[in-house]
Amino acid sequence: MSGNKELELFKNGKRLDGRKFDELRDLKITAGVLKRADGSCLLEWGKNKVLAAVYGPRECLPRHEQNPLKARIKYRYNMAPFSVEDRKRPGPDRRSIEISKISQEAFEKVIFTNFFPKASIDIFVEILQADAGTRCAALTAASVAVADAGVPMKDLIVGIAAGKAGDEVILDLGKEEDNFGQADMPMGIVPTTGEVVLMQMDGDFSKQEFDKANELIKKAVPVIYEKQRQALREKYEKQQKAIEEDLE
Amino acid sequence: MDEDIVLKLKKDSIIKMLKQGEREDGRKFDEYRKIEITEGYVPKAEGSALVKLGDTQVLVGVKMDIGTPYPDHENEGNMVTNSELVPIASPLYYSGPPSPQSIEFARVVDRGIRESGAIEFEKMCIKEGEKVWTALIDLHVLDFDGNFFDAATIGAVKALWNTRLPEYDEKKEKLIKEKSKGKLPVKYKPITATFAKIGDSIILDPSLTEEKVSDAMMVMSIRDDGHLSAAQKMGKGSFTIDEINEMFETAIKATKAVRKLI
Amino acid sequence: MSEKKVILPGDKVNTRGSYTYKVGEQNYSSIYGILTKNEGREKLIPLSGKYIPSEGDLIVGVIKEAKFGGAVVDINSPYSAFLPTRREYREGDVVFAKIFEVDEVKSTKLGDERQLYQGEIIEISPVRVPRVIGKKNSMLELLKQKTGCNLFIGRNGRIWIKGDNVILLKKAILKIEKEAHTTGLTNKITKFLDEELTKEIKIKNKELK
Repeated sequence: MSGNKELELFKNGKRLDGRKFDELRDLKITAGVLKRADGSCLLEWGKNKVLAAVYGPRECLPRHEQNPLKARIKYRYNMAPFSVEDRKRPGPDRRSIEISKISQEAFEKVIFTNFFPKASIDIFVEILQADAGTRCAALTAASVAVADAGVPMKDLIVGIAAGKAGDEVILDLGKEEDNFGQADMPMGIVPTTGEVVLMQMDGDFSKQEFDKANELIKKAVPVIYEKQRQALREKYEKQQKAIEEDLE
Repeated sequence: MDEDIVLKLKKDSIIKMLKQGEREDGRKFDEYRKIEITEGYVPKAEGSALVKLGDTQVLVGVKMDIGTPYPDHENEGNMVTNSELVPIASPLYYSGPPSPQSIEFARVVDRGIRESGAIEFEKMCIKEGEKVWTALIDLHVLDFDGNFFDAATIGAVKALWNTRLPEYDEKKEKLIKEKSKGKLPVKYKPITATFAKIGDSIILDPSLTEEKVSDAMMVMSIRDDGHLSAAQKMGKGSFTIDEINEMFETAIKATKAVRKLI
Repeated sequence: MSEKKVILPGDKVNTRGSYTYKVGEQNYSSIYGILTKNEGREKLIPLSGKYIPSEGDLIVGVIKEAKFGGAVVDINSPYSAFLPTRREYREGDVVFAKIFEVDEVKSTKLGDERQLYQGEIIEISPVRVPRVIGKKNSMLELLKQKTGCNLFIGRNGRIWIKGDNVILLKKAILKIEKEAHTTGLTNKITKFLDEELTKEIKIKNKELK
């Protein structure tokens, strides 16, 4: 993170893309978009396009990874080669592996893995187009996919980042803010309890700025949560509507 | 849980239906499933297209880069095709190094496009012997419900026909991705027809079940003028020459209709 | 009058069961499902989910592998089952069996099996199976009677069918699966089957002429 003040990230109370400091980018969530997967979710957040799929619970392979007490959770975050400006070679890189690890740990807290000894719950997220904040978008989409698959959970997880750019504490960093800003803090929150199940931070935050960032996140969580829930409701309503139309 | 175990039981009932001239989903033997194409699905990539063929979904992205020409083709651009059978698309895909299936998939789709001459490589030279345009085509299977070849080819052709070239600053020798100058030079729309042989019946555009119970498969890449640009036989079964000729005839007719959608 | 609502993980509910968890005195849903309120009683049913073996369930299984003392059976679940038997089964054989035992690591033992010959297997979402069976087997009997087919419904989402009119039976089952959450389904299916059967008779009569 380099504070590049020559690029005016904040001017007249507005960010480069016209947003205010506490404004989220456009967010659109659709549940149940794939046929083969047990649960799935397509999520569009700003210019991010993310597709999450869940298979499970299913047999855990390789056998030696089976846990007789609970299900194993596997989380794989993967970027499509064409998702970024400079084509990315296919396959996991160190960044993807790290994101996968901490996201899997987040889900360990909310999924009732003890109901499925020896099994595996596999969560896969493909980043189809990337534009800053992909790990949070992935977490948010994955939660919807897990619910869609019928896997029991305490609650969904909301992924959202706050940071600092142009000396201002801001919510939901865009691409330039991510590249040239002064701090970035992605978080994963359990909405009904406020528990933090994922957190990373890099850059520079005073205690005051840190508190401001957490305030912004706290206000944003219910907004994103409602969109996740609405997506799941809409899936059911759409199916019911299709049945009614068939009968007419 | 083994998907294949129930499918093996289905093979007999499918063979029976085919003998009566019927397919599980009611299609004719030479009919493609419903095709939906969304151009520019990934606007940030230079070219892209999402194709739905029945419930199979493939997303194709094209990135343009500057590369060096091959030794015997000093003033020609080139193309590279890669595929990812990512785990979201099927319970049978795993993450890890590309499987032989994934590699075959990329190479077959690549040949179908390359051998047809669809991309005008001779118009992609920037500096002879040193710098040429390279088209990097990535096939990302999102939902596998049978026959990713045809879905991927349709997507690749649609994407290539709408691929913009980034501006190239000759002095700084840098690509300016935010600006575009012109489009990728293309002149054909090669489309593939994939067939499956089940018992003695041959059907076009196999569904997942049909593909799984098939004895052999054949992919044929047909150019706009009805010429065959590439072909590949897959699976442990065999075809007769008569069957191959018939498939070629069917392929010419069927791909013509699909080409109109691009 | 019954009321229906979409329920999501973390929602407060007044009922307790396999799909809820408790924090303090409050119950919460752990799944994405439908909550129905009927005469003051709340019932929560999931909209999706895999089949997890439970003692007493009747299931349709497919033999995977013959082993010493029995056979390993695929029961359309993250867990496979073992059928202790002296009969020699082969891979692909279909059985209708009862789940005798499930231990804490979900190792499952089957018994009381009968082999099902020929026929076909349809797979539906296991959460919809109760609808295909109906209250006191009402839907199952309706399907048998109207189509004249033989069918065995497994709690694991597998239905074995055999008969002359399997095509109609398949259509009816898939229709029940799709419309599982609508009311008056038994009447709708009766009507559907009657209409289709009338169509078939008309076609047959035309052919005879």
